[in-house]
Amino acid sequence: MFLKFLDDLNFVSACRKYKLGLWQCPNFLFLMMGVVTIVVMFGTYFVSQHYYSETVTIASVSLVAVFILTISSFIISGVEKIAEANIMKSEFISVISHQLCTPLSAIKWNLEVLETENGEGDDKLTPKQLIFLQNIEKSNEKMLKLVNDLLEVIRIDQGRSVFVRDKVSLVQLAQEVIQNLEYLKIARKVSVNLRDSSPLPRVYVDPKKMKIAMENLIGNAIKFSEEGDEVNIILRMEKKRIMLIIEDHGVGIPRYQHSRVFEKFFRSNNASKYRTEGVGLGLYLVKAILKNFGGEVWFESEANKGSTFYVSLPAAVN
Amino acid sequence: MSEEAKRKILIIEDDKSLQNALAEMLTQEKYEIISAFDGEEGLKKAKDEKPDLVLLDIILPKKDGYEVLAEIKKGEEKNIPVLILTNLEEIDNVQKAIDLGATTFMVKSDFSLKDVLEKVKENLK
Repeated sequence: MFLKFLDDLNFVSACRKYKLGLWQCPNFLFLMMGVVTIVVMFGTYFVSQHYYSETVTIASVSLVAVFILTISSFIISGVEKIAEANIMKSEFISVISHQLCTPLSAIKWNLEVLETENGEGDDKLTPKQLIFLQNIEKSNEKMLKLVNDLLEVIRIDQGRSVFVRDKVSLVQLAQEVIQNLEYLKIARKVSVNLRDSSPLPRVYVDPKKMKIAMENLIGNAIKFSEEGDEVNIILRMEKKRIMLIIEDHGVGIPRYQHSRVFEKFFRSNNASKYRTEGVGLGLYLVKAILKNFGGEVWFESEANKGSTFYVSLPAAVN
Repeated sequence: MSEEAKRKILIIEDDKSLQNALAEMLTQEKYEIISAFDGEEGLKKAKDEKPDLVLLDIILPKKDGYEVLAEIKKGEEKNIPVLILTNLEEIDNVQKAIDLGATTFMVKSDFSLKDVLEKVKENLK
């Protein structure tokens, strides 16, 4: 706390980081404001002790008010500048991501044509060529997922994401997600067990968005597991809510980073040790998506022992 | 040739490789394909060729997809199903297209060609 306060006082490095001049930099201006407030307090005491003239009092108070107002306006314009830069950054990411979507979709569709129209005889692709084609397809899917996650984060932040609702079976969604992550399971040599206490009531969610959330949670569990490990997925009913529990025995998250897990662009120190892919948007997305369905997500984790993520969703009324 | 074989589909898409892949898949399914690479050309072909279905992108040169959709829905061709194919998945974009009379809204990066074909078939019944 105290260190953070000292850090805040170091306005030169903060202003350099924001790439703002001193009179546009909120850290410097807040410090100035503090200094002015202290000077004004002592000044008022001094004036009231030595001068009894009403004119002097009014004049000094007005002078101080104008000074404070001027600094405040600088603060506002500084904050505005940072906010504008933030908006521009989101717009930039949005434009770039949209631009990337077209060629990535084109690659996907053209590969699909190649695979479905794989001819006969001399026109037929060799098994080796097919493997390379599938490699391209997988890499393309990865890029598309990254771009789509980025776009979804921007849409959610701007309140522009489409959420449709449908009664769906989480068991079925989990099976589909595990199927989609088959390549990752094989690559990381991790086995995934799904245990459900059927029949479970369905949940009222957007299946596409729920799949994104589950893919991120289950994908993380696989990615951060050791070779030969098991990932357990448990679905059960608990007090009119459906619980989805995803348990791994992998790298875990150090305790001091627990509070930052659902932050945007957060990546645990342990994650980089594993050199796994990702930009740190997954869990931010998971939390934002679940919030829309009245869901909750939390976790228990210990470094080098593994993580267990819990998702709770209201059961749909029949 | 089946009944479906005579059906005409107009694809309004400015990206050549997307246009090619769509056209190839639909030709294999025995549809007749008309291609347009910008909004103006697309609108003209919609009026001249009277297709049975239109696949329409939103970001297009000369006239955007919304303008094309609005004009199709104002004219004699208003009953032709218009299927939006875009990557603009924001709720305001979806809402605008539906309000203007789009039959359905498909996101290119989410849909496979097979999914698009299914939607085409569904709307040509």
